[in-house]
Amino acid sequence: MLGYVMPLYVYVIEDLLVALILLSSFVMLSSRWISFYIHAYGFQSFLIFILTLVLGIESQNIDLYFVAFLTLFVRTIVVPYILLKMIKKFSIKEEVKLIIKIPLSIISGLLLTVFAYFLIYRLISPFSPKIVINASSIALSLIFIGFFMIISRFTTITHILGLLVIENGIFLLSVVVVPTLPIIVELVVLFDILVTVAAMLILSMFMKMRTGSFSTTMLNRLVG
Amino acid sequence: MKIFIITFLIIPLFASLSSFIIKNKRFAEYISLFSSSLDLIGAFVILYFSISLKTVSIFNGAIVIDKFGSYIILLVSIVYFVSSMYGISYMRLAIEDEQMTDGEFFRYYLFLNLFALTMLIAPMINNMAIYLIDIELTTITSAFLVIAEVTEKSIEAAWKYIVIVSAGISLALLGTILFYLSGNIQGSGNIALSMDWTNLSLNAGYLNKDIVRFAFVLIVIGLGTKVGFAPMHTWLPDAHSEAPSPISSMLSASLLNTAMYGIMRYFNIAGENLGFNFPRTIMIITGLFSLFIGVMGIINQKTTKRLFAYSSIEHMSIISLGFGLGGIFGTFGALLQMLGHSLIKPVMFFGSGNFLHKYKTKDINKIKGAFYVMPKTAFLFSMGALALIGAPPSIIFISEFLIILQSLKNGYYWITVLLISFLIAAFVSLLSKTGSIVFGKADDNFNAEKGDFSPFSYVPMLLPLAACIILGFYIPHSLHSLLIGIVHIIK
Repeated sequence: MLGYVMPLYVYVIEDLLVALILLSSFVMLSSRWISFYIHAYGFQSFLIFILTLVLGIESQNIDLYFVAFLTLFVRTIVVPYILLKMIKKFSIKEEVKLIIKIPLSIISGLLLTVFAYFLIYRLISPFSPKIVINASSIALSLIFIGFFMIISRFTTITHILGLLVIENGIFLLSVVVVPTLPIIVELVVLFDILVTVAAMLILSMFMKMRTGSFSTTMLNRLVG
Repeated sequence: MKIFIITFLIIPLFASLSSFIIKNKRFAEYISLFSSSLDLIGAFVILYFSISLKTVSIFNGAIVIDKFGSYIILLVSIVYFVSSMYGISYMRLAIEDEQMTDGEFFRYYLFLNLFALTMLIAPMINNMAIYLIDIELTTITSAFLVIAEVTEKSIEAAWKYIVIVSAGISLALLGTILFYLSGNIQGSGNIALSMDWTNLSLNAGYLNKDIVRFAFVLIVIGLGTKVGFAPMHTWLPDAHSEAPSPISSMLSASLLNTAMYGIMRYFNIAGENLGFNFPRTIMIITGLFSLFIGVMGIINQKTTKRLFAYSSIEHMSIISLGFGLGGIFGTFGALLQMLGHSLIKPVMFFGSGNFLHKYKTKDINKIKGAFYVMPKTAFLFSMGALALIGAPPSIIFISEFLIILQSLKNGYYWITVLLISFLIAAFVSLLSKTGSIVFGKADDNFNAEKGDFSPFSYVPMLLPLAACIILGFYIPHSLHSLLIGIVHIIK
């Protein structure tokens, strides 16, 4: 957390939490089942909630408490609940169609993580402690992994989850690097997540009604 | 002024909700037309205020409207007005021809006015993060307009649109956060206390240069997705071709300008910080590459609306090139091109909408001899095509001429050569395609009833076309001084 001096235990917790967050994104990369993805996303959001809460307590920043509990409510409870309910309603048991196989996905995820680390190191190393570099490089790698999930998986639900992982990465970056970010921005971003998820779910329901599947592989009519 | 701005924004909201609740078709049509005409008048009033009172700043600086902002508001309201007028004719025909259900009809009017509302808000907002969220809301409202007629193709287009653009906006959000970070680290003196563009551009000199460089590239990629810069343009032809014609024109002629506005705000901040060479180089490179993709798309297209969607990409890249070349002529030309694009793109999309209802196809090879079938539409369509490709006397001729002049003035002769050759390629292919639509020999077994549709189908084409041609002859002094003022804001 830039600009604050924290006790040692916060650094240990922060390191541990961001490592687990990275791990949960790799769980998404390595699984074939949609419900796995949603649970991993909920777990990841829960970890981000704990991180935000710890940072809020240590820096005595009321805004961060508020943001933390909103994260808990929106990202950990509401969004995964909607997605799971949707799966139940349409009784989706289909596997995710992968364009890139799982081992290769994991290797690509690793490469993206390393790339994010170097990018962040190059950008903010002159003025920030090591712990911030670690945490923010993991945040950036979440963004990259989210993009990778969108391009390598052919289901509407995984597209939504890819976008959500990108948003998680941006949120983590903003909490770790710029804790003084105005609270209105966080609120609006959370609102935006809800609206986007709702819109995409409605669209994918239309798609299910018309084409009988959530798979996006048949979306190939419009070319050129 | 506060009350005026609030009223200005409540009018479309009221129109959308009331048309959805009352569920009377005639009422929904005319309340949208009425609200859009009120907003057009309101946009002129805001423009007048921002010229005479310098900058409107209300609600503690949460809403700031300077000349640039009010110019974009004017462009949006012009397109909103003509689109809601044309929508009356288009939707009546859609109910007759395509069995559009009542639910779809009222959903269309609900989201039409909401879409216009989100676009009218965007240029007023001072906080750039909220601006980006507003752009995201334009994506969602317009995605529901793309599926106004639920077909497999339109669902595909809306899905691609929402996924690609949301991902792009999140990158732009990352760029915005990095801009904020660049003013909040040691050595910068913690000057960026908020994400307002007024604040950032005031303190632009103190921002961290490395981070600003990275953040500006992210902004161009992110908002460039919305503007339709290649290679992030892939959603654009799909959404434009599958949406109903009034929505295609709103997407093309006003949404792209609204997103371009955001890029130019950051352009100013990055330029004040790094010197203008860096952002200009980026705009020139994106502009040239998108120009190439746009012109190649124009040459390859076989359907009317995709043709004009690629033409939008071409126009936006010329605008980007104009801003990138900078100087008085380049920036002035780019701003004028924005106006020309907003005036002439609706004409082309409305014409294609009329042909779609008459010929029941978007295929260019099957639409022939429109001049004999629907003379008024065909006349306006062909005039519009001439104005679109920059034949004098149209405003686009002047703007493209100014941009070419600026490239010569800067001494970038290779840009001049590339730009002129791309423009000629677009000229030839657009002219041959529209020529075959208008004057080609009609199919013998084509037996639809001859004649135009109701006046609502061609009057909205006539008004902007006339404005475009008159402005091509004579640019009023007030418009000239407004644009010069915006040039000084951007530079």
